[in-house]
Amino acid sequence: MEQFISLTLGGVVNGSVYAAFALALVLIWRSTRIVNFAQGSMAAATTFIAVAVIDAGGSYWLALVVALLSGLVMGALIERVVIRPVEGGPELNAVIVTLGLFVAIQGIVALVAGVDERAFVPPFSTVGYEVREGFTLLSLSRNSIWTVGAVLVTMLALIALFRFTRLGLAMRASAFGQEVARLLGVRVGRMLTLGWALAAAVGALAGMLIAGDVSFIGPTFMDTLIVFGFVAAVLGGLDSPIGAVVGGLLLGLALNYVRGYLDDSLLGMAALVILVVVLLVRPGGLFSTTAARRA
Amino acid sequence: MTRNSRRLVSVLAAATIATSMAACGGDDDSDGGGGGGGGGGTAEDNEATGPGMTEDTVTIGSHYPLTGRAAPGYSEIPTGVQAYFDYVNANGGVYDRQIEWVYRDDGYNPTNTSTVVRELVLEEEVFAIMGGLGTPTHNAVLDFLNTEEVPDLFVSSGSSLWDDPENLPYTFGWQTDYESEGKIIGQYIAEEFPDAKVGLFLQDDDFGEDGERGVRQYLDDDQIVEVQTYTSGNIDVGPQIAALQASGADFVLGFNTPPYTALTQLAARDLNYTPQWWYSNVGSAPDLVGSLLGAFSQGAVSGASALAGIYTTSYIPTVDQVDDPWIQLFQRIWDESGQEGVLTNTRVYGMSMAYTMVQALQAAGRNPTGDDLVAAVEEAGADWQGPAFTPFRYSSDRHAGISGMSVVQFNAEGVGEPKTPLLVTDTGDAEIEEYDGEPIAPPESGIPDEEAVG
Repeated sequence: MEQFISLTLGGVVNGSVYAAFALALVLIWRSTRIVNFAQGSMAAATTFIAVAVIDAGGSYWLALVVALLSGLVMGALIERVVIRPVEGGPELNAVIVTLGLFVAIQGIVALVAGVDERAFVPPFSTVGYEVREGFTLLSLSRNSIWTVGAVLVTMLALIALFRFTRLGLAMRASAFGQEVARLLGVRVGRMLTLGWALAAAVGALAGMLIAGDVSFIGPTFMDTLIVFGFVAAVLGGLDSPIGAVVGGLLLGLALNYVRGYLDDSLLGMAALVILVVVLLVRPGGLFSTTAARRA
Repeated sequence: MTRNSRRLVSVLAAATIATSMAACGGDDDSDGGGGGGGGGGTAEDNEATGPGMTEDTVTIGSHYPLTGRAAPGYSEIPTGVQAYFDYVNANGGVYDRQIEWVYRDDGYNPTNTSTVVRELVLEEEVFAIMGGLGTPTHNAVLDFLNTEEVPDLFVSSGSSLWDDPENLPYTFGWQTDYESEGKIIGQYIAEEFPDAKVGLFLQDDDFGEDGERGVRQYLDDDQIVEVQTYTSGNIDVGPQIAALQASGADFVLGFNTPPYTALTQLAARDLNYTPQWWYSNVGSAPDLVGSLLGAFSQGAVSGASALAGIYTTSYIPTVDQVDDPWIQLFQRIWDESGQEGVLTNTRVYGMSMAYTMVQALQAAGRNPTGDDLVAAVEEAGADWQGPAFTPFRYSSDRHAGISGMSVVQFNAEGVGEPKTPLLVTDTGDAEIEEYDGEPIAPPESGIPDEEAVG
């Protein structure tokens, strides 16, 4: 029973980290209908900018703000400069461009920050709460509560943005039908840029949370999480912030049970098996809406 | 999505290669100095004998994780090798040949290892591979190297896989094998800590399995209360450490790579778990672990003292032994090489292996083929003396490297204090015996002087 509680809580924490990453993917998908493979190295880049702030004597919170802002700027720049020329063409072109970005950004990070692993100290203590003598819940620490909380707040903010604001409506409209939206007076170009900027900022948050979770980071530290983030996003239907979070949590729980009750080495395979099964049963993902709404 | 993930995998591979190219831009700068120096007699002239062996150069290749999870520490090994080869080259090279050292990043991913080793053999045309790092990684190129008849010397791993002359005539181990190490550790715990409840933390491949097999020869099954494994690349070791804690283990023995030493120490701290720790030689990189852990303790623990009280094993000198003549030699060579960073244990490892490589090239004679190099190691290798505390086990029917080690405990300053004399043993049921030889000092020139065999 103790093991089950440990694994479940651990799964929730890991899952919310996957969810943070999946949220960024969903944002870009919602606003531009592109799967952004560069998300991982973009988040690594903003995390290393934050590390530079911390190294220069700044606090974690200042570094977090800088990371989020640099995410906004980076996302907007990338959309304007690199993605805009291929937008509206075949979808594959945009995807290939994001793949190229993935490699290029990772290379730049390695050139600037070096390839050595370094410590990343999270803002709160990672020491687990001692439930009773001799039984410490590793996954229940102040830092894990911050991680889960930050992801939930981000999710709620995104839902509010898309559901209750004119801006969110305009962003959705731009993604679904550019021409119609333009006819209705929506500045489609700006909406697309904004979508990328927001997504990159959420990605930057994910990078900071993940860095705190894994303790040691190098230019490739997001690589192992990219796959799980993608699986979480697709599980959730790629289109829904709630779906991304639920997908992330389900994946986190499932993988932790696999790790605890089966074997550590089955993690990657388990993620793909879950993905295949879900896609066979519900091809649009667990939270897919009606086919008519899919662009 | 399956198509996307397949694409993703190849992108990840491409990314690692791209970053590695950024990382090791300076790896093949030959000193260009003339090789006219003290190369001995000139009864024969240098001739090109085949791939990698020209009149004035010999090219040696290797693969290491320079990026990714396994890179910390290990990525420094080839810089140590480079420093030693530069030193030999500046002093005339081997038989007036400059040693060219070409190494590639495989990110500790066997698929990448296959690719980069094929590049080294087929495009760079290396004469031999030396020190290819990692059990799962190097395992992926064993058949290729032996089919291509490329000497595959001194694999940087203590797996027993490399000692198989019948099926793998071109492959040789170098460091003490994990099984022998496990036996020495198991005997020490059985004798000194008979009441300890031992938990094992193992990498889930030959590294962990060989170590466990050795340990179990000396520790009773009921003294080992828990066995936990991890897959290299999965960074969350919390569940494993929690399981070790739950089992009541008060002595944890890890056969893991250096980053996992830091990760297990962090996880144990978060769990308020304070067993006696023992990391096998591979995982006990105090400089690296100290630098990673130092950031988490807000100055309470600094540098190498992060490992105070922890046991490990030792088969070559380490940088904390500042009075050791080998360390003094390697320090001088490292300082002269002008590379970034300080002398570390991983660099000493690279330099020690490079020393053995120079011995092998000398023993192979003036114009050797790959087969001559292999024959030289088999014939003369057991007699070579160098930084290693105990002799190699090379012969025509053994390709196993260093035969022993001693048990060491880190003190508060991070200096390893020997707890046993030098012990030698072998795989299987060979006895553990005290080594009766003496470690030797390096030659004055710092370069070995082996005679050509045959």
